[in-house]
Amino acid sequence: MIKHLLIIGVAFTLGLVPASAQILNKIKQKASQKAENALEKKLGLGDDKNTNNPGDPGAPGNNPGNKTGGGLITTPPDVMQNIADAQSSYKSSKYGEARYAVQQAMLGVEMEIGNKILNSLPESISGLKKDASADQVTSTGFGWVGLTIQREYNDNDDKEFRIMVANNSMMMSAVNMYLSSGGYSQTTGGEQNWKQTKLKGHRAIIEYNEGSGYKLSVPLGQSSLIVFEGVNFASEPDMMKAAEAVDVDGIKATLGEQ
Amino acid sequence: MMLTMKKISTFIILISCSIAVVAQDFDKNIASAKSSYNSGDLENTRFALQQALHELDIVIGKEILKELPTKLGTATYNEKDDNVTGGAGMATGLFVHRSYGEQGGSSIDVINNSPLINSINAILAIPFIGNSGDGTQKVVKIQGYKSVLNKNENETTGKTGYTLQIPLNNTLFTIEMEDTNENEIQSLANTIPLSKIAQIAQ
Repeated sequence: MIKHLLIIGVAFTLGLVPASAQILNKIKQKASQKAENALEKKLGLGDDKNTNNPGDPGAPGNNPGNKTGGGLITTPPDVMQNIADAQSSYKSSKYGEARYAVQQAMLGVEMEIGNKILNSLPESISGLKKDASADQVTSTGFGWVGLTIQREYNDNDDKEFRIMVANNSMMMSAVNMYLSSGGYSQTTGGEQNWKQTKLKGHRAIIEYNEGSGYKLSVPLGQSSLIVFEGVNFASEPDMMKAAEAVDVDGIKATLGEQ
Repeated sequence: MMLTMKKISTFIILISCSIAVVAQDFDKNIASAKSSYNSGDLENTRFALQQALHELDIVIGKEILKELPTKLGTATYNEKDDNVTGGAGMATGLFVHRSYGEQGGSSIDVINNSPLINSINAILAIPFIGNSGDGTQKVVKIQGYKSVLNKNENETTGKTGYTLQIPLNNTLFTIEMEDTNENEIQSLANTIPLSKIAQIAQ
């Protein structure tokens, strides 16, 4: 009897040890799973079943992604309206408001100047057609500091010609440093990556880079600069011919430069 | 006392006269902008607007000067040193300066659209940079505005001065005082109508 009891006891114990280990493991797994779920919920992540892209609308725990809107209205500020606002604000001693209105008027005028310059540029240059979607006028409304005008021409392949007109004194000083500094002297031997040149009588700098191609910078008057960039142009004369297609003097006059 | 009153009234008359002159210029430039725009001369419109903006900056600067104290501690302001520079929205922005004391060692500067504001805001955003270990710099609050207080030792005179920089939106308000302590400069700063100045400068 005692023998039987001993055998049953040993068998029960032997059976219980793995069973209790299994139970412990299961509890451990459950606990860690619960913890993971709680953490994922906190962080806004889902498990495989609930995995959604962050932009999926209606996904639980996610912010909805934008599907409509149509962007911002890019109409330039109404110049006359802003001038009238500036006058009335000034009369009622609201100088901060007057200043804001003058800045907005200036922004409107600069946008118009930019568009006028864009319209004066040729439809095609060196067989490359203008990319109307890349036309850009950027202004800060801060007077001379921040008007930039951009236009791109391409052949829908790998040849591209870019024009950037800038009213930016900081960039001007960099180019004028090139033009005035004796430190950047021209060499005849070795690799010549930049040199001084002239575009329709205007002093300019032309640079060449294996990776980006040709770059021609032409300072205009006191505070303006035109930068031409040519990608995959065969030679320097090719690049110069493309730049000559642009009415540089017309742009200079539109910007009021002397 | 009578003499001080006379001085103050002379100052007010002078400021009013100069504002009247600027007002005329503002109206003239606005009229010029209008006529240039109507005749399609965009470049001259832009130039006239820029001039108008410059004049507005001067008027705003003078309005700010009216809000600044005429005494900083024991030092009286130097009327002749009052200075307003309008940057017409350029990177330098509007600059207002008032000095105090015979040597002009103490001063108040108000700079609008200043590039310095970014660096001050960076100091304010990172506490361990704002408060230096050697006690020469710390972050304090003046009328609810977080500000940077710097201690300056003058080696020649042996006096201790302080500089308090208070960013107000896009305007930087700076008080510099020589021979003072941090309690005095802070309590003086607390008497200045900072929110009104911020509103005018904006």
